[in-house]
Amino acid sequence: MSETVMLEIEDLHATVQGKEILKGLSLKVGSGEVHAIMGPNGAGKSTTSYTLAGREGYDVTSGRVTFKGADLLALKPEERAAKGIFLAFQYPLEIPGVSTLTFLKTAVNAQAKLRGEPPLDAAQFLRVAREAAKMLNVSEDMLKRPLNVGFSGGEKKRNEVLQMALLKPSLAILDETDSGLDIDAMKLVAEGVNALRAPDRSFLVITHYQRLLDYIVPDYVHIFADGRIVRSGDKTLALRLEEQGYDALIGKAA
Amino acid sequence: MSEITSLNRLLDRMAGFERGGVPWLDALREEARTLFAGSGLPTRRVEAWKYSDLARALAKAAEGSGPARPAPEIPGAHVALFENGILNEGQSTLAAIGAIPLRQVLADPATPFAKRIGHVNPQKNHALLNLNTALMEDGLVLHVPAGVSLPAPLHLRYDWAGKEAADPDGRHLRIVLLLEEGAEATVVEAHSGSPGFATLVNEVHLAPKAKLTHLRFERLGAAARQSAVTLGELFAASSYKGFYFSEGGLFSRHEALLELRDQEAHAEIDGIYLVGDGRHCDNTTILAHAGVNTSSQQSFRGVLAGDSRGVYQGCVRVLTDAQETDARQMSRTLLLSDRAEMATKPELEILADNVKCSHGSTAGELDTAALFFLRTRGIPEADARALLIEAFLGEGIATIASEPLQNLAAGLVSDWLAFHASEIAHAE
Repeated sequence: MSETVMLEIEDLHATVQGKEILKGLSLKVGSGEVHAIMGPNGAGKSTTSYTLAGREGYDVTSGRVTFKGADLLALKPEERAAKGIFLAFQYPLEIPGVSTLTFLKTAVNAQAKLRGEPPLDAAQFLRVAREAAKMLNVSEDMLKRPLNVGFSGGEKKRNEVLQMALLKPSLAILDETDSGLDIDAMKLVAEGVNALRAPDRSFLVITHYQRLLDYIVPDYVHIFADGRIVRSGDKTLALRLEEQGYDALIGKAA
Repeated sequence: MSEITSLNRLLDRMAGFERGGVPWLDALREEARTLFAGSGLPTRRVEAWKYSDLARALAKAAEGSGPARPAPEIPGAHVALFENGILNEGQSTLAAIGAIPLRQVLADPATPFAKRIGHVNPQKNHALLNLNTALMEDGLVLHVPAGVSLPAPLHLRYDWAGKEAADPDGRHLRIVLLLEEGAEATVVEAHSGSPGFATLVNEVHLAPKAKLTHLRFERLGAAARQSAVTLGELFAASSYKGFYFSEGGLFSRHEALLELRDQEAHAEIDGIYLVGDGRHCDNTTILAHAGVNTSSQQSFRGVLAGDSRGVYQGCVRVLTDAQETDARQMSRTLLLSDRAEMATKPELEILADNVKCSHGSTAGELDTAALFFLRTRGIPEADARALLIEAFLGEGIATIASEPLQNLAAGLVSDWLAFHASEIAHAE
């Protein structure tokens, strides 16, 4: 664990539509670390990401989340974003009628405003956006099209990473970013993520399969079951999980 | 309190017109007056007015119109300025495009336009049309000769302000647009302020291959009471392209009653409306397909805030001989508050057997998943809501072919969103 704690989750309980999904989740993420959260379907992985991002309907009943020293749970979703939380969606939304470029500019400048920074002017923004898009193989045509409308699965995920690159979060939560991607698309997304790794940026990589972790190599791996972490270890834990399956490892823990 | 418009008052006014000088007009007015005296003002007992009760709206006292919002400017257009329903000739540039003030035409016993006025797609039992015909005084006739294409749009500017705007007799306007074979024109209406009671009738005659682009920008005040009708007859291979923007009013209604008479006539209407607290906005269309191979497309998108009320009645009639008709209509509504109300009535009356017709309607709230997504990217809730509303309406605006007019429509939407920011910032 590095010296600076970026995110600390303490005994978090959360309900969705009255049903308790998170049952005492605790986790510390240090600055610059990559943590992988693995677990079977229904364990509460996506609930964790939505709760951290502040989605309505994900109600915290007890516990605390501290992010960069502040009480994260007291903030609105947009304030969490401005403070440095970024959620890459498992299923990125299509928004007809808003061009990708317009959306990116609105988001970048909204965060700057919330942080009290001056907005980028149109020319500055275009330069930065085009540079980042080129790295991620996001075409000029995709930038002009309505957000995610008619994009393939791989294009949508690359678009998420592009948003991450432009918004420069302190903590990026990748919610099953590998789902629906073939191996080439996954490599491209992983390359994009790896390029963003930095001493002041942490990652929470939520995934069902070990495969993604071959490309985004984690510092820590946590196994999630029934609303909390049941085992933690280094990257070799993911490999053992791949060999032995969830039942064997979760069974051992319980 | 201002005086109230009433049936007796309107009938007295009709009886007060002088007769004798212009026989064709006297006959037209007399017939309309008799029919109107029989029907009275439309109430909700009349099916077509079930959701928009004009008689009741007129019986209400309308005080205060809220802050005035300026009418949109249309750069480069020829202007016809109507101040409180009266043509200001000095401020208008009619001669350049051959438009003639209606008063001049109505005073001419031998005008060639007598055969058109009151005879475009006539609707004998339409009370509001009869009222307008019996009382019309101002307006204009635009005649575009065969093969001529107007180089700049005609801007019909309707400004309502001050005491005159609330004339309890109402102000009754008639615009006659006659496009001969192959002629082309763009006509843009812009409405601002609060008429106490205005009726407006457009008569559109499109000869074969004529093309009219008709944009309506209604930005009336909260106290405005206006009922407008566009009558159209579309001959072979002619085309009517309408774009209707409205912010509603105390009472605001527009009816597009178009007859696609001959083969390959085409009508296309896109409408967007944004209606704030306390306002009413009605879009009614009746598209009658009479010719073979005619086609029509209608798409309306509305945003209702506060306790506003929206109405869309869209009727498509396909007559026996109108084989191969292709008619589509769609109505989509965003309800920003649970006090807002939308009445949608799509109707298909199909007598021919080989046609393609479709209709659909949706009404719902803003997509909460999309809102959450935008907020996770740092866009505050109020801005995210505005962005989604703009996106929803943007697809309608994109149908406007002229870029400056497209920008004008987009600007009106942004203005409305800024002006009504408090009504749209949160789900109610």
